[in-house]
Amino acid sequence: MSVFQHDYRPYDGPTTALWKRPLVLARYGLAEAWGSKITVGLAVLGLLPCVVDLVLMYLADNPVAKMLVVGGSKVLEINEKFFFGVLETQCWFALVLAAWIAPRLVSFDLGDNALPILLSHPLSRFGYVLGKFIALVVSLSYVTWIPVLILFLYQCYASPVPWAAGHLGLAVGMFLGAVVWIVMLSLIGLAVSSWVKWRVIATGAMFAVIFVPAGVGGIANAILRTKWGFLLNVPVVMSELWQRLLGAPDIFNGRLELPNMAIAGVLIAASLACVAVLNARIRAREVVRG
Amino acid sequence: MGVIALDRLEVRLGGRTVLNGLTGELRGHAVGLLGPNGAGKSTLINTLLGFHEPSGGNAKVLGLDARTDRMRIRQSVGYMPENDSFIGNMSGVRFVRYMAELSGLPPAAALERAHEALFYVGLGEVRYRKISTYSLGMKQLIKLAQALAHGPKLLILDEPTNGLDPTARQRMVQLIKEIRKEGSMHMLISSHLLRDIDETCDEVLILNKGRIAAISNIEEERRSHRNFIEMEMTGNTEAFAEKMQAKGCECARFAGGRVKVVMPDALGQRDLYVIAAETGAEIRRIQTRRDSLEDIFLRAMEYEGGRIDHVSLPA
Repeated sequence: MSVFQHDYRPYDGPTTALWKRPLVLARYGLAEAWGSKITVGLAVLGLLPCVVDLVLMYLADNPVAKMLVVGGSKVLEINEKFFFGVLETQCWFALVLAAWIAPRLVSFDLGDNALPILLSHPLSRFGYVLGKFIALVVSLSYVTWIPVLILFLYQCYASPVPWAAGHLGLAVGMFLGAVVWIVMLSLIGLAVSSWVKWRVIATGAMFAVIFVPAGVGGIANAILRTKWGFLLNVPVVMSELWQRLLGAPDIFNGRLELPNMAIAGVLIAASLACVAVLNARIRAREVVRG
Repeated sequence: MGVIALDRLEVRLGGRTVLNGLTGELRGHAVGLLGPNGAGKSTLINTLLGFHEPSGGNAKVLGLDARTDRMRIRQSVGYMPENDSFIGNMSGVRFVRYMAELSGLPPAAALERAHEALFYVGLGEVRYRKISTYSLGMKQLIKLAQALAHGPKLLILDEPTNGLDPTARQRMVQLIKEIRKEGSMHMLISSHLLRDIDETCDEVLILNKGRIAAISNIEEERRSHRNFIEMEMTGNTEAFAEKMQAKGCECARFAGGRVKVVMPDALGQRDLYVIAAETGAEIRRIQTRRDSLEDIFLRAMEYEGGRIDHVSLPA
């Protein structure tokens, strides 16, 4: 083929490795996600708390400024509790961003029945999900572990006393806590989006998937007088996980005491359920039925 | 080596045997896949692409096993599905580039080929428009463009003229003929329309109820059958018929001066006029009727004892 001759010519140039094909999906997925002004707006909004946190850290690390603003009070103390708050805030912003982005990544493909054509290329179902998953994880990283670790680095730099060496575990905990959350959000987002064809409904469904089981868990706790209903409460489970990973003070004052295995079990079960849903939905739509 | 080789291929879906013991080798440059609804055409295509696992036997595409080499097969194949299948909010060029990159072309080459493919199929002027704004004919053409962009060795077209108006259909058939003439890739074309297959293919695989009803080389089939000629004549048709029979023709006369002749290869149409002049007969109308794909198809269906459903021959 050539544009000026309008005839066909075979392609005899180089081709990329098979393992790189999901990255093509990820790249186009990122472009699709970030091509929306709403995505950019949400991402900017998601960074505003970090700006506030940065100002607080500056005040805390600058003795003169601290004295002028809060006097001798210990309100401004940069420790595990402070970073727990930062991480929690950013992770809930990530939920909002995921609820907006995930349906954009999948529903266009499903709405126009693009899967048969996409998967007729050298790309497996796993590769397809992996590509979309990478796009979502990268997008959510932008408002979770990346700004949080930048704040951590700033604190290491700005602290008037040696601080970094004693708090490296905090950085690892924040990174792990954020990654667990964005992996969960990505899987839930893709599974919900593959199930619900309409984007707006998919966005709402994502919040429902997070918060409706929490309500059910609360009812189970009240009726059965147990604490195990909290395992259905994703916000509580994640707060507990982050608090343990960061070594922050227990915000539930020992009322929960969910075993680590139970928390891990819930997260793994939820992830497997999402993978099963994705597999079933994509398998059902990968060929033209008729 | 054939383009597609089937060896006792069996595919079961939902507990039902959809393809039952298909065996055969397709060597043609453009192979037509014919059959009534539910014959298993789409299932065969999906099996060749690796979407369905054979429950028995095997299928080879370009020498690659459909069961174990599905990624390599998909790398070498361009597929145009029957139904609407695209990403509506993408521009034409972006969509074709995306598909080319998924087939392994580096981004710059994919962009170049996308532009070329779109011009080639006739969508050059609308390549920056969103696909959702395209007409049905344009949507068919963009599916063809994405199937061509990465330069496949085998092009699988599933009902390429589905839903097209006569002009768009003619354009699509013309494109397929050009691709066939260019000669660098093989084609497997599934269609309900015998005329489409007749115009574009040199070999045909006819399926009926999940079995192969016939594999036929259309050109050879035509050559192997003698020419039938129908005429309307006046004058001394009896003498004409006698002389034709003496020349080795089969000749039958009917009421109203109608004469049917089966010509041997040695005689041409000019001889008819010469003999008519010699015997005092006049030829008023002459119609040459070749053995068409329709005959091949109908014979295959009769042989299979199947009923023909939804097979249409456009006027």
